[in-house]
Amino acid sequence: MGETNEESVNGQPQPAPEKKTRKRRSSAEKMAAMQKDISVGEFFHKNRHLLGFDSARKALLMTVKEAVDNSLDACEEAGILPDIWVNIVNTGSGRCRVAIQDNGPGIVKKQVPKIFGKLLYGSKFHRLRMSRGQQGIGISAAGMYGMLTTGKPVKVVSKTSKGRPAHYFEIQINTKLNTPEILNEDGNGIDIPNGEVGQAVLQDHEIEWEPVSHGTRVTIEMEAQYHRGRGSVDEYLEQTAIANPHAQIKYLPPDGREVFYHRASEVLPPEAEEIKPHPYGIELGTLIYMLKHSKSMQLTSFLSEAFSRVSPNVAKEIVTEANVRINANTKKIGREEADAIYQAIQRTKISAPNTDCISAIGEDQLLKGLHHVVPAEFYVAVTRPPAVYRGNPFQIEAALAYGGTPPVRKVSLDGLEEMLSETESRTLRQFLTTNFDGIGTSGANNIIEAAELKVRTSPSKMKPRERKRLHEAMQGINLSASQSCNVYRYANRVPLLFQPGACAVTQAVMQLNWRTYGLSQSRGSMPNGPITLMVHLASVWVPFTSESKEAIASYPEILKELRLALQGVGRKLGMYLRRRQKVKHQGERRQIFKRYLGEVAQAVHSLNGCDREDLFSQLLQVAKDQTAEADMQFDESGQVVEEPEMDLGENVLIVKSERDD
Amino acid sequence: MIKSQWLSTSSDKHEENLTLHLKENTVANESKKDPSAETEAEAKHRERDEKTNELLMSLADQLVKAAERKRNPTLEIPIRTQANVNYNKSRKIIELGKNKSQRQLFNLSQAKSFMQMILVASGCKKLIDQNKTTSIRGLYYMLKHTIEGTKEETFAKQSECDPMIEDVEVTLNALREELHVYAQSRGTMVGPITIVDSGDEIDCSRMGTGGYGIPSIVEDDIVQFKECDAKFVLHVEKDTVWRRFNEDKFWKEHNCILTHGSGQPPRGVRRLLCRLNSELNLPVYCLLDNDPWGYYIYSVIKQGSINLAYESQRMAIPEAKFIGLRARDFDRCGLSDSVKINLNDTDRRRAEQIKQYPWFSGKKRWIKEIDTLLANGFKLEVEALISLDVSYVTETYVPEILEAGPRQWLD
Ligand SMILES: Nc1ncnc2c1ncn2[C@@H]1O[C@H](COP(=O)(O)OP(=O)(O)OP(=O)(O)O)[C@@H](O)[C@H]1O
Ligand SMILES: [Mg+2]
Repeated sequence: MGETNEESVNGQPQPAPEKKTRKRRSSAEKMAAMQKDISVGEFFHKNRHLLGFDSARKALLMTVKEAVDNSLDACEEAGILPDIWVNIVNTGSGRCRVAIQDNGPGIVKKQVPKIFGKLLYGSKFHRLRMSRGQQGIGISAAGMYGMLTTGKPVKVVSKTSKGRPAHYFEIQINTKLNTPEILNEDGNGIDIPNGEVGQAVLQDHEIEWEPVSHGTRVTIEMEAQYHRGRGSVDEYLEQTAIANPHAQIKYLPPDGREVFYHRASEVLPPEAEEIKPHPYGIELGTLIYMLKHSKSMQLTSFLSEAFSRVSPNVAKEIVTEANVRINANTKKIGREEADAIYQAIQRTKISAPNTDCISAIGEDQLLKGLHHVVPAEFYVAVTRPPAVYRGNPFQIEAALAYGGTPPVRKVSLDGLEEMLSETESRTLRQFLTTNFDGIGTSGANNIIEAAELKVRTSPSKMKPRERKRLHEAMQGINLSASQSCNVYRYANRVPLLFQPGACAVTQAVMQLNWRTYGLSQSRGSMPNGPITLMVHLASVWVPFTSESKEAIASYPEILKELRLALQGVGRKLGMYLRRRQKVKHQGERRQIFKRYLGEVAQAVHSLNGCDREDLFSQLLQVAKDQTAEADMQFDESGQVVEEPEMDLGENVLIVKSERDD
Repeated sequence: MIKSQWLSTSSDKHEENLTLHLKENTVANESKKDPSAETEAEAKHRERDEKTNELLMSLADQLVKAAERKRNPTLEIPIRTQANVNYNKSRKIIELGKNKSQRQLFNLSQAKSFMQMILVASGCKKLIDQNKTTSIRGLYYMLKHTIEGTKEETFAKQSECDPMIEDVEVTLNALREELHVYAQSRGTMVGPITIVDSGDEIDCSRMGTGGYGIPSIVEDDIVQFKECDAKFVLHVEKDTVWRRFNEDKFWKEHNCILTHGSGQPPRGVRRLLCRLNSELNLPVYCLLDNDPWGYYIYSVIKQGSINLAYESQRMAIPEAKFIGLRARDFDRCGLSDSVKINLNDTDRRRAEQIKQYPWFSGKKRWIKEIDTLLANGFKLEVEALISLDVSYVTETYVPEILEAGPRQWLD
């Protein structure tokens, strides 16, 4: 960080200063007076964008996301089927109050302040175990954002079991010291006993609490703006519901709606196991740190104890390869030897890490989740076997939903009017593309044209008649060909809503040739069609491209697994589409024949006076025979074979549409 | 068979009527005497309609039979492309070959046109029953409606209907006129001839500047020749040239019938020329632009067109002569450069194509003509002669070329 003034702003070296009269601007001594600890809190204060709290729009989402992720993590760790409440209230002048509650294990009284009032404090950082959170910044960062923008503390209620009292804290973070300060009751918080007494306490202090026997509720007031569409809380919760069919979410947004995601599955994901790091995944710095902090012991035993897949034999191999004494002690290992060991590890053949530690969502649950939230006619899911990148086990899953009504056609006129009045988009086209998935610019243009409106019309200034026309055009639009695919990305079951372009998932989707599977796609871009694709990466350590956890890094091993998973769902989709095409074709043929038969019968009747009805029904019979014949399949020897039921395997779900011919 | 009926009537008459007073029993004469009695023309008309009705009904019966037997109703339609067109060397006309295509009701790409064809047939039946005729456009409107239970039109545009009419014609071996449908009339006639058109006597030498508009149906139950003093027919390409000749009273001076057909002559004009030629023995001379299009018009008049090859025998005039303009005329008449119109690629391609037509390829003088055109690299319109003198074409060019005789014409 620019310590000296000579460092140029944009990183380009400045011309050497002229010698003669130039006065020194500063000195090492003067500068030393200014050099001091930067508190994490202060750092965050200035760099909140790094954590995703960079705008009033995004802050709301980030807060809900951090809290919900924590709730789901806690519930799963404690083996509880999660119930989650999300409540957003507009408190006026650009502020919102957000409350998130769960029925998780709760947090013991003395931990609460640190968890919500200290950055970089958590249970997940130091272990290698699959979980949503990993850094220990999440929820306290949200609390700090609230405090910085409104001056209000974070309010936490937590209860650990039926018999114990709940406790209530109002916590503020001291940004200089990165320590929590409890504001209520002289720094002691309040205990809320069970029963009626407790009820009275809740009422007295205006504490909101859904009655559960254990759980945690966090409430944060912040500068924030509620909106819908892309990158919104609504979107995040919807996608969360897809990837977590075992969770139930009750959501009350500030616009008075009640959104309720039922539990689609009663099965908790299997417990993720903690593992020791694999040597291939370790960095030199970490290795040195581990050596320094380990007990005094033989190097070989250290290696086989601290790492997975390192047997005493493998440990010996590494040490020999590194040219270090075989019975060296960890305390005697210097930097150079550590480096030699690090190099040796890379050259030694070590078996891949145990992958049991990963709990994938699973094909069955994926289908359930997707079907529950995304209406479509065809679903397919593929869970790949676990693989390893840089010593970290990971697993890729992909699920695809095809068909169904696109979101533009689902919105009601009331809903649309509300969205129009709230939107920040300056033009109608922008409004459509940002609020409705899968329509793209061309789809938006078509809608606007059909509604006889102008692309540049300001959404907020539309007349009632124009809004009605827009709604009609949206209902009538046929997008199936031009519609572009929706991609939902997940890391450890957490939806990733931002930076799709930087993400390995997006890259893999665009690199795959979807035309093979019967979709249209221009080279190197998203496939087109009424498709929702969800891709999940589960890993003990998700390689994000930045701290804000928005995009997955493109390791070759990850890209390869992504490709294989996408091919898996693509192949099934292709089979389905081909079959559907055929059925549709037959149906259409019959339909076309049928539609002309009336005309033909009438005309023939007027030519030779035959019985119109008789002729019509005879022709209809011929039409049926003709198309039935065409429907049949022939095997290689030319024999007619019975059309087999479409059996695409276990990982596929086909929903019969109501208007089947 | 209907064609042969027509042919025989024509030739019968041909023999009978060598005199210039042609018909005794014209509608005009007869109807005044006894309105209830059926005239010869009327009888012919009725017979013809009965015949056509039979054909139309057989089409319907065929379909009913197929449906009863649970077969896919199929129509066999003679193909109307150059591939199925033959040049009959002895008769010197283009004839339709024997190749047929099948059109089935239960075939995705044919279902609609099958339905449309049957609709056209039923429309024609209705016209015949009501004893009315209509234009092809009229028939299109008559049959156009939304198919019940759909948003689809039976015919989206007229261009969908026109080929269906031709399909019905070739399939039934019936002519458009027999189906009571006519095309737009775009031709004019003037000259020393008196005709009867639907009972009205028309003296074509007293038609003022406009001339007699040749109707699209000129069969002898509609149009009869009453009196004719003309020695030949001069057919010019278009209206502007025709006006020049009419204004200069060329036809009076040279005792001829003067016609034009607005470019490629419509059926009515071709049929009338054919009748003038075959029934009144009048030679037909064509004065057309010197370009591939002009050559083609001549070819159509003489041998028939590829598209309507099935009509050739009653339309083609194998004796018709091409008297101009010729590629050599630029030099011969001393025209100025400014009247040249450069040949474009399409022109060149068309010229090469025409050279290949079997009815041109054997004729050395024609090949030379087309080669000269190609060598010149430009075309000439008849109007180019105006640059010499307004009436050069009527007073000098045509009289000279007619005088010069067959050796100077192209055949
Ligand atoms: N609702 C909750 N119920 C129980 N424990 C919780 C809850 N929320 C947070 N915790 C505990 O508090 C710790 C800190 O949470 P925090 O969100 O700050 O970090 P994290 O989840 O570990 O990592 P990340 O910064 O990636 O979110 C968690 O590790 C967890 O042990
Ligand atoms: Mg967290």
